[in-house]
Amino acid sequence: MKAMIGQKRPKISKLARQEERQGYLFILPWLIGLFGITLFPMLFSLYASFTNYDVTSRMDFIGLDNYRRMFTDDPLFWRSLSNTLYYVVWMVPLTTIGSILLALLLNEKVVGMRFFRTIYYLPAVLSGVGVYFLWMQLLSPTSGLINTLLSWIGISGPAWLSDPMWTKPAIIMMKMWAVGGGMLLYLASLQGVPAQLYEAAKLDGASVFRRFWHITLPMISPVIFFDVITSFIGGFQVFQEGYVMTENGSGGSMNSLLFYNLHMWHKAFTVFDMGYAMGMAWVLFAIVLVLTLINMKLSKRWVYYEGEDQ
Amino acid sequence: MGSSLYYSGQQTDYRKKRVSLRQIVIFIVLALGSILFLLPLWWMIATSLKSMQEIAQYPPTFIPQTFHIDNYIRTWVAAPFTQYTLNTLLLSFFAVTGNVIVNSFVAYGFARIRFRGKKVWFSILLATMMIPGFVTLIPQYVMFSKLHLVGTYYPLIIPQFLGSAFYIFMLRQFYLSIPRELSEAAKIDGASHFYTWLRVIIPLSKPALATIAILSFNGAWNDFLGPLLYVNDESLYTLQIGLQSFRGSVQTQWNYLMAGSVLVLLPVIVLFFVFQRYFIEGMNLTAGTKG
Amino acid sequence: MHYKFSIRMIWIIPMILLLLLTACTPRSDSSEPRADGKVEIDFWTFWGSETRRPIIEKIINDFNASQDRIIVKHTYLPFGDIWTKNLAAVAAGNPADVIINDYANVNLRASKNQNTNLTPYLQKDNIADTFYPELWENVLYNNEAYALPFNTDTRMLYYNKTAFKEAGLDPNDPPQTWAELEEYAKKLDKKSGQTYEQVGFYPLWGDFGVDSWLMNGDNGNGYFDANDQTTINTPGKAATLKWLLSWQDRLGRQTVDAMKAEFGNGQSDAFISGKVAMYIQTGTYNTQLEEFGKDMDFGVAPIPERESGSGHWSTGGGFVVEIPRGAKHPAEAWEFMKYLTGVDAQKYWAMENFDNVANIEAAKDKEANQNPVYKASVQNLESTKLFPIPLSAPDYKNLINPHMDAVFLGQETPEQALAAAQQDIQSLMAQNK
Repeated sequence: MKAMIGQKRPKISKLARQEERQGYLFILPWLIGLFGITLFPMLFSLYASFTNYDVTSRMDFIGLDNYRRMFTDDPLFWRSLSNTLYYVVWMVPLTTIGSILLALLLNEKVVGMRFFRTIYYLPAVLSGVGVYFLWMQLLSPTSGLINTLLSWIGISGPAWLSDPMWTKPAIIMMKMWAVGGGMLLYLASLQGVPAQLYEAAKLDGASVFRRFWHITLPMISPVIFFDVITSFIGGFQVFQEGYVMTENGSGGSMNSLLFYNLHMWHKAFTVFDMGYAMGMAWVLFAIVLVLTLINMKLSKRWVYYEGEDQ
Repeated sequence: MGSSLYYSGQQTDYRKKRVSLRQIVIFIVLALGSILFLLPLWWMIATSLKSMQEIAQYPPTFIPQTFHIDNYIRTWVAAPFTQYTLNTLLLSFFAVTGNVIVNSFVAYGFARIRFRGKKVWFSILLATMMIPGFVTLIPQYVMFSKLHLVGTYYPLIIPQFLGSAFYIFMLRQFYLSIPRELSEAAKIDGASHFYTWLRVIIPLSKPALATIAILSFNGAWNDFLGPLLYVNDESLYTLQIGLQSFRGSVQTQWNYLMAGSVLVLLPVIVLFFVFQRYFIEGMNLTAGTKG
Repeated sequence: MHYKFSIRMIWIIPMILLLLLTACTPRSDSSEPRADGKVEIDFWTFWGSETRRPIIEKIINDFNASQDRIIVKHTYLPFGDIWTKNLAAVAAGNPADVIINDYANVNLRASKNQNTNLTPYLQKDNIADTFYPELWENVLYNNEAYALPFNTDTRMLYYNKTAFKEAGLDPNDPPQTWAELEEYAKKLDKKSGQTYEQVGFYPLWGDFGVDSWLMNGDNGNGYFDANDQTTINTPGKAATLKWLLSWQDRLGRQTVDAMKAEFGNGQSDAFISGKVAMYIQTGTYNTQLEEFGKDMDFGVAPIPERESGSGHWSTGGGFVVEIPRGAKHPAEAWEFMKYLTGVDAQKYWAMENFDNVANIEAAKDKEANQNPVYKASVQNLESTKLFPIPLSAPDYKNLINPHMDAVFLGQETPEQALAAAQQDIQSLMAQNK
C-alpha cells in the first residue's frame, strides 16, 4: 500500500500522514475489490481488443485492426452508436426532470403518502422479461392501452414498435415509467435539506418557486449530479430493451433498436468475435469518459457541496 | 395513516391545521398518476389469473372471464420455489449488509478524509462503471473458475463486501452535502474518523442508507445472470431462474410467468414499506444534532 | 452506549463469515469419482417446463437404468442463456459433458473449438445413416461431425375448416399454389367497414419470415448456395418480394402493422382467436391448438408453391446434442448421446411432444404417425430445408433485414433492396476472408 501512496514528501506533517493512512484504510475494501476482482478482467479485455480473440480458439495480436474495422467497415457500428446517442440525449434529461418532480410531489404531506410512494416506486423494481412483454401489449397500435388513452384525446397513436420512427420514443416512454428508482434518491436527499432554510426564506417572503430554485435545487444538486452522471453511463449501456422487444434480439425494424451494446452482444456471443466486441467496449468507454469529464467540469458551476473540503 | 390529511413536517406550515387547496390538488394529481402507474401492474395480475385459453383469445380481456386463483398454487409447485426463495433471501441478505456497511465506509473515505491520490482513485472508481459488463463477464468467470469458486455462492457474495462504484459514488454525494461543522465538532473532541463515521455520519445519512438497502436488495433479488453463471446445481437456483422455466423455446406459460412475477414482487413491496420509515425520520435527526 | 454500538458492529463480521461458510460450501463437481464407482456426467438442457421436463427426465432415467456404468445428471438452464453459460464454461475448462445446442451454428462452434469432434466415436458406431440426410449435413464441419441431430421442425399451412365452409370453400382442398392462396384469401376476408374481422391470409404473420418466402419462391434456394456464394439478388427472389409486397398493398400497411403488433408478443394467437383463416406454423403448434383452441376444426397442408411443380419448400430448425470442448467424460457422453438419438428415446420424445425427431426410424414409427398432423409434418420434412450459417458471414441477418424492412416501408424497391443486401453481404464476406 505504501508503494502506491508513493513519493514521500518530507514537508508533510505527522498529523497529515496519519490522516492519509486513515483515508486509505477507509477505501481499502474497495481497493481490494479493484485489484482482486475488477481490474484483471478490465485489463484483459483491453488487451484482447488488440487481438482476434474468440474466447475458445485463438488470441493473436492484430494491432488496431478491430478499431479500424469498426470505423471503416462496419455500418452497424455507426447505426448502433447513433441509436444509443438518440436514446441517451432524450432519456437522461427526461428521467432526471421526471424523477425530481415526482420526488417533490411525493415529499409533500398528503394522506396515503406511503401508498403513493410504493405505487410510484413499483415499476422500477418490476424486472424480468415479463415486463417487456407487458409493454409490447400496452404499445399495441389498436388494442394497446397507450393508444386507447391517446384516442380519448383525439390522437391516433402510431405503430410504436414497428414504425422505426417511433421505436425509440416508445422505449424512452417505458423508461419514464420506471423513474421510481431516481425518485427514491431525490426523496432521500430532500430529507437532508435543513428545515431552517425554508423557514428563513419564508419569513423573507420567498415564493414556492424561488424557494425551490434557491434552496432545494442547490441543496440536492450533488444528487442531481450523481443521477445525471450515472444515467449517462447507464444510458450508453442500454441493452435489454432492444434485446427483448425485437424479434430474436435482432434490433427491430430497420435496426432502429440496435443499440450499441446489443450490437456488441451479437458480436461477442452470437458470432464470437470477442476481440472486436471488447474493442467496441473500450470505444464506448472513451466516449463516456470524455462526456463525463465535460460533465464534471460543468458541474463546478452548479453543484453545491455543503460539506466540501476544498 | 393518520386521520388528518397531513402531518406536520418541514415543508408545510404546521401552524395551519386545515387541509390546504394545494394538498388537495397534489392528492388528485398523485391519485390520477397512480392509476397510470398501476395499470401495467393490473395487467400482470389479470394475466396471472387467466387460463391459457383465455390468454390466446383476441381481443385480450381486461378483467379475466374466470378467475384461476389456482394458477398461483400451480406456479409455486411447478418448480421448487420455496427452496429458490430461501436461496434468494440468503443472497439478498448478504447484498444488503455488505453494501450498506462497506459502501458507506468507503464513501466516507472519499468524501471526508484528505489524502493524496484521492482524485485519481475516485476517477478510477468512476471509470470502472463505464465498461459494459459483457466484456468482463468471461474473464471474470474464468478467474473465479481458477479459484475453484464456480458452483458456489462465493462469486455472488464476495463482491458485495468489496464496494460498488455506483453506491460509493452515491453516498459520497450525500456525505459531501452534510455540513462540515457537524463532523469537525466531533473531531475536535478527539474522535477518530471511525467514530465520526459511525456516530455522526451514519445516523445523518439514514435515508441514503435506506435507499442503498432497498436498491441492493432489489439488485440481488432480481439478479439473473449472476446466479445463472456461477451456480451449477439446481438446488442453489434463485427465483429469477425459476421464473424462466415458464418460458419455453416454443411456448410461454404466461399465466404462470405472471403469477410467479407477482409473488416475487411481494417481498419487495413489503421491504419498501418498512424502509420508508427512514425517509421520514432522516431530517429529525439532523435537526436534533444541530440543535 | 457508543462503545456498545461498535461492539455490536464487530460481532456482525464473524457472524457473516460463519454464515458464508455454512451456506455455500462448494459442491463436489462431477470430475470426482463417485462412491459406487459409476461415472456421473452433466447434461444441460433448456427443457424446464411442465410439459418438457418430465419427458426428458424419463429418457434420462431410462438410460441410467439401462446400464450400470454411467449416471446422467440433468441440469435445466433457461433458453438462450444456456449457451452464454456454455461459452464461459468452455473458456474456463469446466463445461458440461453433454449439452443441447442450436442446429444453425454447429459449424461455427466447431471452427471455434467449442465442441468435440465425433469422428473417433463414429468410426466405432457409425450411426450417421439413422438421421435425415438434411439434418446430418448440418452437423458437419470440414466433413466431420461435431454434433448429433436431436429434433427438428418444419413449417406448414394451418387452415380453419369452419371458415372455409363459411366462405364456400372445400375444407378438404387447401390451396396448393400462390395463385390459389390469393384466391382463397380473398374469399376468406371478412370486413366490417374499414376494419377486418377476419383476414384470409397474410404471408408474414405466423412463423414464416421473409427469408423463408424468398427461399420458397426461388426453387428452394436460400441466400447462399452450397459453396457459400451469395444468391440473394436473383430474379426469383425479386419476384417473391414483389409478391409479398402485393399482400401488404391489399391489406394496407396499417392493418398489417397493427395485427403484427397485436399478435407479435406471443400472448393472443391470431389463428386461435379467428382473426386469420390460414396461418403458417410449425408441427408442434398442433399441441397448442388442441390445448387452447377449444375444439377448433382445422387442417394442415404443405406451404403453397409458387407455381405447379416449383416445390412446396418449407424451412426447418431444431436442436443438436454435442460434447462441449473440454468435457471431462467424452466417452461416457457419447454413450448417452447415442441413447438420446436412438430409436427408443426418439420415439418417446416424438410421441409425447409431437415434435419432429431426427432419427428416421423413430420419426416414421407407426404409433406416432397415428396423429394426422404429426404424420403430415413428417411427410413435410421431405421438402424442408435447413440453412447452416456461412462461416464468413455469421451475422448476415443484421445486414439483410434492414433492407427487407425498407421494402415494406416503401423506402426501397425489391430490386434495390436485394442488390444492396447482396453487396453488403459480399463486402462482409470479403472482410472475413
